[in-house]
Amino acid sequence: MARSVLKGVRIAGLSVCVPKTVIDNLEVPPEEQQSRDRLVRNIGIRYRRICEEGIIFSDLAEAATNDVLAGVGWDKSTVDAYIFVTQSPEYIIPSTSIVCQHRVGLPKTTLAFDINLGCSGYPYGLYTVGRMLGAHGLKRAVVVVGDQSASRGAKDSGREILFGDACSATALEFDETAPDIFFEGFSDGSGYKAIYVPDGGHRNPLTPYSLIPTECADGVIRKGIDVSLDGPAILNFSIEVAPAAVHSICEFSGVALDSVDRLIFHQANKMINDTIRRKLKRTPEQVPESLYDYGNTSSTSVPTTIVYRAREQFLTPGTKFILCGFGIGLSWATMLVETTPNTYCSTIFEV
Amino acid sequence: MDISAFIEKFIEAIDFAEPVEITPDTVIAELDNWDSLAQLGVIVMIDIEFSKTLTADDIVTCRTVQGLYNWAQG
Repeated sequence: MARSVLKGVRIAGLSVCVPKTVIDNLEVPPEEQQSRDRLVRNIGIRYRRICEEGIIFSDLAEAATNDVLAGVGWDKSTVDAYIFVTQSPEYIIPSTSIVCQHRVGLPKTTLAFDINLGCSGYPYGLYTVGRMLGAHGLKRAVVVVGDQSASRGAKDSGREILFGDACSATALEFDETAPDIFFEGFSDGSGYKAIYVPDGGHRNPLTPYSLIPTECADGVIRKGIDVSLDGPAILNFSIEVAPAAVHSICEFSGVALDSVDRLIFHQANKMINDTIRRKLKRTPEQVPESLYDYGNTSSTSVPTTIVYRAREQFLTPGTKFILCGFGIGLSWATMLVETTPNTYCSTIFEV
Repeated sequence: MDISAFIEKFIEAIDFAEPVEITPDTVIAELDNWDSLAQLGVIVMIDIEFSKTLTADDIVTCRTVQGLYNWAQG
């Protein structure tokens, strides 16, 4: 069972940025207005950011990295690891983290690689990198998390209004005095088709047909290279595993759910997030959201929500957070973390 | 919960833009505006009210609103 305690690891800083271009989901032709109003009301996403005019995910990564390093006051030469959690690589290969290591100006003594995870990715990124730190290990690391998954003009209206682009950079350091961080991770590959891109990998190599919009079994028109989403399957998965994972990490850490100050969930959609919150009997104040203004920002929705709606608590030492990511894989993970003094946190800034 | 209360919950869950007439015999998949959003709404309603996991296939098998009500009670 993937249960683990990180000792001597501190979150020193967090930065989140978004591209400038805003899409308003309610801006549609008059004949679509009524159905779009209903969709926005239920999915709970009004605005989304999208990378346009030459901006790509790596540009957000570079900006977030520079901001967090300035915020925590680390010299670039002291960064030992630079890890990305993304499914929006600059090239298919090599790892985007390595390309950006040079661009950001980190030394050749920095190790770098990418982790291929989506919505569950934030706790995984912090855990994997946190594990490398220690008295006999690395001392300082930056974890970049996020995706470029927003679309404009897709025929799949369910996917079209969902995703927003954003990127976070988290600075982690070895600190003997840091409180324990608890982590649990889970996988269920039987559900891989709930969220996947059918074409372009080795199973279904890219062909000219991959680019032709076709009506799929669920009646939605997609291309083979588009993300295919099975809404009912994702909903049932999310509302089952997320509440159970929260109870599980509480049991593991010995921290009662009532003494957790803020629960930050992946921002999937309002139906999913409201149901999870109701099942856990938490108030909206205990479970902040960023859905309405930023949409589903994939792996970086957890840090985006912290910066947007729990920044004050994040900057208050001794605040207990549960972070929970769930989605594509299927994969999910939770982390229980207590904030420490002298932490840096940006506000959401535009690139 | 009796069937009329269930129908009220069902209508609330599908959140159709236009008012809709639903009886126990209504065939769910043949409702005019039945779509994926309505499906998600009903799945959430069943989970909250009955603590049961409803799949897209279950909705097809239940066929009518009465069928879904019986399934939820079962």
